[in-house]
Amino acid sequence: MKNRLTALAIAAALHASPAAADIETATFSGFGTLGAVATQTDDLQFLRVGIEAPGSDTVKLGSDSVLGMQGNFRLGGSTEAVLQVLTRKTPKNNYTPRASLAFLSFAPAPEFTLRAGRLRVPAFMLSDSLDINYAHPWVRPPVEVYTLNPFADLDGIDLLYRTRIGDVDLELHPYFGRSRVDITESGRASLSRLRGLNLGLSRGSLTLHLGYSRARLDLRWGDAEFGVLQHALEALPEGRHILAEMQGNGASTSFTSAGFQWDDNRWQLIGEYAARRASGFVNSAHGWHLTVGRHIGPTTPYVRLARTRQDEPIVGDALSAGLPAVEAFNASRNASQRSIGAGLRWDAHTNAALKIELTRTHVDADGWGAFFPTGDIASTRVSDRKINTLSISIDVVF
Amino acid sequence: MWSSDRHGAPRLWIVLVSILLAFATGETRAELLIATARDGAVEALSRDEAEQLYLGRRATLAARTPLLLLDLPPGESRDQFYRLLTGKNPSQIRAYWSRMVFTGRALPPKEAADASDARRLLLENPGAIGYLPSHYANDPSLRILLHLE
Repeated sequence: MKNRLTALAIAAALHASPAAADIETATFSGFGTLGAVATQTDDLQFLRVGIEAPGSDTVKLGSDSVLGMQGNFRLGGSTEAVLQVLTRKTPKNNYTPRASLAFLSFAPAPEFTLRAGRLRVPAFMLSDSLDINYAHPWVRPPVEVYTLNPFADLDGIDLLYRTRIGDVDLELHPYFGRSRVDITESGRASLSRLRGLNLGLSRGSLTLHLGYSRARLDLRWGDAEFGVLQHALEALPEGRHILAEMQGNGASTSFTSAGFQWDDNRWQLIGEYAARRASGFVNSAHGWHLTVGRHIGPTTPYVRLARTRQDEPIVGDALSAGLPAVEAFNASRNASQRSIGAGLRWDAHTNAALKIELTRTHVDADGWGAFFPTGDIASTRVSDRKINTLSISIDVVF
Repeated sequence: MWSSDRHGAPRLWIVLVSILLAFATGETRAELLIATARDGAVEALSRDEAEQLYLGRRATLAARTPLLLLDLPPGESRDQFYRLLTGKNPSQIRAYWSRMVFTGRALPPKEAADASDARRLLLENPGAIGYLPSHYANDPSLRILLHLE
């Protein structure tokens, strides 16, 4: 598939009429964040669940720091290739770079763009710019919403259709493909037959987003604790049924998101709701956030509220009842929490922003929220705790 | 009688100063225009199309000519251009374009060194579109597509 597309692109390039003299055929650019996040407690660390591996410190550089390089290549006419390579801390606890974008795009008409290759899973309003913190007011998009879907890379095709009705810009964005993510230690998860549709509307200062997708989920946990639990469950008569809820192949999932952004040069308002439904292996949950910011010269102070709640645990109550180890498994994979944060973005330089955010989080009684023990997992309580975090970052684009 | 004479001279001065001020503000209230080469491929451009192009929401016009969109370096003219055309302030525009670029959706306009460099690029590239200060309005080698104020 990819080879054939490349051949097509080269053919298109050869037949294209010579472009204007000053149109560059290759453009290179980059973005980066150097960030640190600290928790006020010694026994817990902040964790971007599904994105990074837990460490052993309460101050972490790996949660937000990221570096990306991108090349855009005009192949002639209306065909373009984009390659973006990105490095950040992975669930495998390394910084191995990956191709976050590698696609060919073809625009048969001004309104249509057809793309194939490595794209982004556009699950959220800000999925496309999840790693480009410079584009956002916060140190990072609120984890209460953005942890609900860790799948970032879409290997497949999509179509962007843009039109203008009156003074409203409309974008329809159907997509199809598959995606994979690593899970801590040797685990992995994949989405196949992933298909979805996004609708974007913008008018003046207001932008609206609606998205829906479905996929089949296959998942294997690979951490040592799960290995011990699995071994214990295999010895129980009903253990097989419990394990079948925890991991395996062919769970059906759906994902919904809706959001808005308002920016009138004085006030900045952002809100988003997202929900995931899964028939197994991960919990069903929903989350929302609301941010209010005020532009004052080069600074934008903001306040945000966020909440994520579990709708269905991985292993249902009927099966997990009386089994503390299974309840602990459910809790460790439940990111439910609520938080209030206050922060500041300072556009210190044309291409750089400095940010600081203080957050107070209350982890739900049946979940771990966005936190993980720094030491022994079994003896550290994470649930029902109130935790302060301080995040500082510098974002650049070049 | 004599009192009105005494006030005649100041009134004249007020009129003269007002006229001068009108000229002066006419010069500094940098009205901008979007232009292409007189014999360029782009014959017309609506305000909607201009806004969509400079927000990366479209990359071509109906004529399908490869377009070269021009920007001026960061500064007063550029900030004012985006404010007039899109209503966005400089930091909003930078954040917006970083999102467009790094999601692979669009490439930003090519940055000219200054207005006269932008004029040179317009003349050398048949598909080039750029914005210039209003005193380029009478330049015989340019075709004015839009006035922004």
